[in-house]
Amino acid sequence: MTEADKIPDQTVRSSPVPAEEAAVVIEDLSLWYGDFRALYDVSLTVPRNQVTALIGASGCGKSTLLRSINRMNDLVDGVRVTGAVRYDGVELYGPDVDPVEVRRRIGMVFQKPNPFPKSIYENVAFGPRLTGFRGDMDALVERALREAALWDEVSSKLRESGLGLSGGQQQRLCIARALASDPSVILMDEPTSALDPIATDRIERLITDLKRDYTVLIVTHNMQQAGRVSDRTAFMHLGRLVEEGPTDLIFTNPRQELTERYVSGRFG
Amino acid sequence: MRLRAAARARERVFGGVLLALACLSVLTTVGVVAVLVFETTAFFSDPAVSLREFFTGRQWTPLFADQRFGILPLLTGTLMVTGIALIVGVPLGLMSAVYLSEFAAARRRRRVTSVLELLAGIPTVVLGYFALLFVTPLLQRFVPDLDLFNPLSAGLVMAFMILPTVSSISTDAMQAVPGALRQAAYGMGATKIQLIWRVVLPASLSGIVASVILAFSRAVGETMIVTLAAGQRPLFTLDPRETIATMTSFIVQAASGDQPAGSLAARSLYAVAATLFAITLVLNLVSQIVVRRFRERYE
Amino acid sequence: MSALPRPKRADLPDMLDVGGRQSRRRRRRLKAMEAAVAVPVLLALLLLGALLFDVITDTLSWQVITPAGSGRSYAFAEGFAPFGSWERVMRHELAARGVPAADVESLLADPEERRVLEARNRVELMPWVNGRPFRWLVTTTSDELVADRPLWGGLRSRSELLAAAEPGQVVVLNAWLDPAFLLRNASRSPLVAGLLPAFVGSLMLVGLVILLAVPLGVGTAVYLEEYASDTRLARLIELNLSNLAGVPSVVYGILGLTVFVRLMRLGPVVLAGALTLTLLVVPVVVVAAREAIRSVPPSLRQAAYGLGATRSQVVLRVVLPNAIAGITTGVVLAIARTIGETAPLLVLGAAAFVPRPPDGLLSTFTAIPIQIYSWVSENDVEFTHVASAAILVLLAVLAVLYGIAYYLRRGFASR
Repeated sequence: MTEADKIPDQTVRSSPVPAEEAAVVIEDLSLWYGDFRALYDVSLTVPRNQVTALIGASGCGKSTLLRSINRMNDLVDGVRVTGAVRYDGVELYGPDVDPVEVRRRIGMVFQKPNPFPKSIYENVAFGPRLTGFRGDMDALVERALREAALWDEVSSKLRESGLGLSGGQQQRLCIARALASDPSVILMDEPTSALDPIATDRIERLITDLKRDYTVLIVTHNMQQAGRVSDRTAFMHLGRLVEEGPTDLIFTNPRQELTERYVSGRFG
Repeated sequence: MRLRAAARARERVFGGVLLALACLSVLTTVGVVAVLVFETTAFFSDPAVSLREFFTGRQWTPLFADQRFGILPLLTGTLMVTGIALIVGVPLGLMSAVYLSEFAAARRRRRVTSVLELLAGIPTVVLGYFALLFVTPLLQRFVPDLDLFNPLSAGLVMAFMILPTVSSISTDAMQAVPGALRQAAYGMGATKIQLIWRVVLPASLSGIVASVILAFSRAVGETMIVTLAAGQRPLFTLDPRETIATMTSFIVQAASGDQPAGSLAARSLYAVAATLFAITLVLNLVSQIVVRRFRERYE
Repeated sequence: MSALPRPKRADLPDMLDVGGRQSRRRRRRLKAMEAAVAVPVLLALLLLGALLFDVITDTLSWQVITPAGSGRSYAFAEGFAPFGSWERVMRHELAARGVPAADVESLLADPEERRVLEARNRVELMPWVNGRPFRWLVTTTSDELVADRPLWGGLRSRSELLAAAEPGQVVVLNAWLDPAFLLRNASRSPLVAGLLPAFVGSLMLVGLVILLAVPLGVGTAVYLEEYASDTRLARLIELNLSNLAGVPSVVYGILGLTVFVRLMRLGPVVLAGALTLTLLVVPVVVVAAREAIRSVPPSLRQAAYGLGATRSQVVLRVVLPNAIAGITTGVVLAIARTIGETAPLLVLGAAAFVPRPPDGLLSTFTAIPIQIYSWVSENDVEFTHVASAAILVLLAVLAVLYGIAYYLRRGFASR
């Protein structure tokens, strides 16, 4: 019997998210890279102003799922998508939707910090400049940096290169850069995997603060991290969403054997 | 154990021969520099020549009875031709680099690259022929008072000679912009045009600058196009319609004439060549430094 | 829980702009930009096309000639003989000039008379003579040119040219690039000028440059890749090579003129030209050879060392055989450079007019590009046609070389 055979067809859900709290609704999403099928009919509702964690072994499709929410997968050649992702009542894969518009409202933070080779200020101002922001840029930059808990460390050197910061600071700069665009949803793809424990702790506290204003969806392979920062957790395996629900339930009382084996560290 | 000793000796000889071959290229440079320095020194030690006149004089007539040695006319001539070539060739080269790096699919990129390489492989004497016999008559219909020999058509044709240089180095620089930066920009909702203007071009700026400097150096040293199409009359002017001479076209003119070796006229050739060599050397060194910077940036 | 009030941003409407003006404009702009940046590529293609078109049409021209010979032309079948057309047509022509049959035979049999005859008379297959296609015509050094019209202009007015031609004049469409052009010696007269001396000169240069530049370039590459550690000397050699590649070729000419022609007292001969061009192309060979050597997998070297091979054995039996395709590419590109390079040879003093092919390494020479340069600078319409014919030959040779290089590189890359 292979692993795939043990995956139940149906996702097990505990205390589903009420429709009025939904920020992003994913329905029966399947995705192929050429001939390889990376996602199998995934359905997931992401609640507003909460942190949702996507967990699972590497290669389970959690990053793919994350990237299909702001249509970053469009940039890969040979990608095919079926199903729906709805945001604000709009079907994001609809024929008339410009992925550029989607990405301006659904921000993203990547696995490795990737600041532009520009000054700290210009990094943060990058998003607003894209949309032709004409207001008080200094205030916007300061607000984003404060929200990303970086202001105190960089306020005196805004004109210096973003590449001169430490790894953890660079990642918070990338978060500030995403925040400055005023997204309502922020996608984080293993944002701390390249960082040391202290920097990681800093980012985790930041994530908890962010949910006051934003909806956060975070991919992590770190069980403790998922337990610490998220309100809800979705467990994926081999392209399928196995189980999702409130984090405390998933971690203490999973209903699927596969989930239990994963969260207790017996594979993955 | 005699055999082992013989084998070791053979190894040493083999390595020594290779080293000697490698050092021959250094000898070439030494030769160039020695020849230029020796003859140029001899040129300037002649009482009829002064350094000050050489760099500030506006008349260059070493092949005439009344010899004057002011290199400015040759410099302005060179500057005019290379200026036209750069003004036209650099934007075209950068545009094609953007096309190749950001728009063309891999297959088409390979094809277009081979076409550009073909362009780069056309002997410059052929380009000179084309400038003189095709471009100049064509331009004369639109530009009144255009001399038969003029820097305008030479510069325009030279623009296409440097286009492949600018394009290939800049394409490499643009392709070297890390995928993570592109992802970051797209992730923030940048359009492709915004990505190109705000991320790709700034991040590959040093590579682009290096390509332009290298193209500049190529244009300064290019000989046949200017000799055939721009003329051999040293004139201190910035009018691109008039016949001029460049440093390189003077070298050809003076070397293919019958100047007795050791005469002042023959030595003036070396002074011009030394100036040309110095200019291109500085340009090449600068472009190498710029390229090295840009390599270090992402590593 | 609900979102806290946030500052409103005029530039970012709350709702997604679905299929709206913004998105459409964005798509249009992207299309426009793609079209704009593709323009230089089109321009480059256009220029290549214009150049080829110009060269090819320049090799054909309508001419009105007052011939010094009989002025008669002969049908293709009348004059054709494999490798003997010249003699066959010449017999007809001499008869037409009124030379008695017996004298014709003795003229052609006497080597000295025949040499003079060959030098003065060129048998050409003209695409069009006085309204009839493909005929043999004998042109001579004493022919008088009445008019020369470009291909297109003449095509339209050829009947007028024919009507205006006085008795005794011939109107022809002259194809300047014909077998006679390739096989004839140079001449001061464009009508009989041939490319043979320049062609042989270029061939000799290429042969010598291969002989000299390959060991030099490959040896340097092997030293830098397999022997040199990151020493001062290796870095110096490398820096030196990259700078040499940027030295204008005309400066190499000055080096050659001073060292080989004057100091070594060789004079402007084939050997001096080849030595100069060798110095010029060595960096090209080194770059290609290094790349090829670097792409030989280290595991192959380790396997050979493991079997007890010495370093020289590894180089000669493992590295070089496996790098041969890349090295050959470099050599082919170096040959292309050698064939097209003009300025250094010109400065060196390669002669503009060399009547016969060089007969040794120490004889004066000319090369195809030099010949082109000197013909173009004659500033004479007929020499322009001759120059364009030579350019066509040069471009054809280069096309073959680049084809070989492309093929080699593709085969090399696919391995």
